[in-house]
Amino acid sequence: MSNLWNKLLYHDGRGWWDLPRTQWQDPNPQMEGPFGDGIIPIKKTWDFITAAGYHHGTPLFYVVVGVILSVITIVEVWAFNWLFLGGLLIPLMLVLSLGKFVLVVGFFMHLKFDRKYYAWIFTACMVIGIGIFVALLLLLNYGGQVQQ
Amino acid sequence: MASASATYEIKNEHGEVINTSTGLSNKKLLMWAFLGSDVMFFGSFIATFLVYRNRSLVGPYPADILEIPITSVSTFVLLMSSLAMVLALAYVQQGRRKLGAFWIFSVVVLGAIFLMFQVYEFNHFAHLGLTPRTNLFGTTFFILTGLHGAHVTLGVLWLMFLGFGSIKGTLRADNAIDLELAGLYWHFVDIVWIVIFTVIYLISARDGAPSGSIPWVPGAH
Repeated sequence: MSNLWNKLLYHDGRGWWDLPRTQWQDPNPQMEGPFGDGIIPIKKTWDFITAAGYHHGTPLFYVVVGVILSVITIVEVWAFNWLFLGGLLIPLMLVLSLGKFVLVVGFFMHLKFDRKYYAWIFTACMVIGIGIFVALLLLLNYGGQVQQ
Repeated sequence: MASASATYEIKNEHGEVINTSTGLSNKKLLMWAFLGSDVMFFGSFIATFLVYRNRSLVGPYPADILEIPITSVSTFVLLMSSLAMVLALAYVQQGRRKLGAFWIFSVVVLGAIFLMFQVYEFNHFAHLGLTPRTNLFGTTFFILTGLHGAHVTLGVLWLMFLGFGSIKGTLRADNAIDLELAGLYWHFVDIVWIVIFTVIYLISARDGAPSGSIPWVPGAH
């Protein structure tokens, strides 16, 4: 009897006047994006090797970073012999060097996993260091006194 | 009401209570501040090298003597020592003392190999006639790479003590912060070399005799 009553007045357990749910009421699908849920296995693999949620990476993750650093060094030495690069050699070397710098500081020195305060201290000193660097270059290149 | 002398009690990853006025590990904060000051220290010497680049009046010039293949190998050795260092810390933190000691001594050995490369290079350059007194390139090159070598030497000695500590059992998971500090220092030495390798070896290696200076003739010193 109750089934008959439900079938007569309700459908799918909801009232007749219960409007269909809109997309705004639905929960967001997981990992919505151009790759759909195809990104989930990649994220799980990334979490596995970085031990996401823990304050340091796993040994496997560090080995992966070490391999990347080695590859960048090989590319640097290889590119050094590309004479056709001309004036592009210096910017290329600086970019590759910056990549290695970021990998070591971020992962080997754990700044990526650690408290942000340490990163601020180091960054502040880097800014001052670069300031000294630029000031020296400008002073001695355009000061005109040390040229001779 | 908070006062200037207020302290916080924080717990490290092993649950030990540490008193600190910043909410951060005092030892680690000190190490990061030291590394920050060292950034400025090395920044000045690297800038000086660049300022005096191509201003030597007599040879040998960088293009005459720098050997990229040899330095590339020593750079690779130092990068791998950084990898060994981070593995050592990971294993010591996990309480795996033997593995930790193995990787610490790997860092020591790789650091010593890097130093041997540097000694060979300095000796080779001296035989070719480049000393700190020869020209501006010699002065800035030897001071910058020499100071870096001094840092590496200190790191090797520090890690040797920690390696023996790991074997004896005085370096354990609960005081792994001591190894972490040495690790921060070691990685810093590595990133300084990354910059030196790029600036001195890759960017300046083709610098020959600047206009108006005397070209270098091997064996003429």
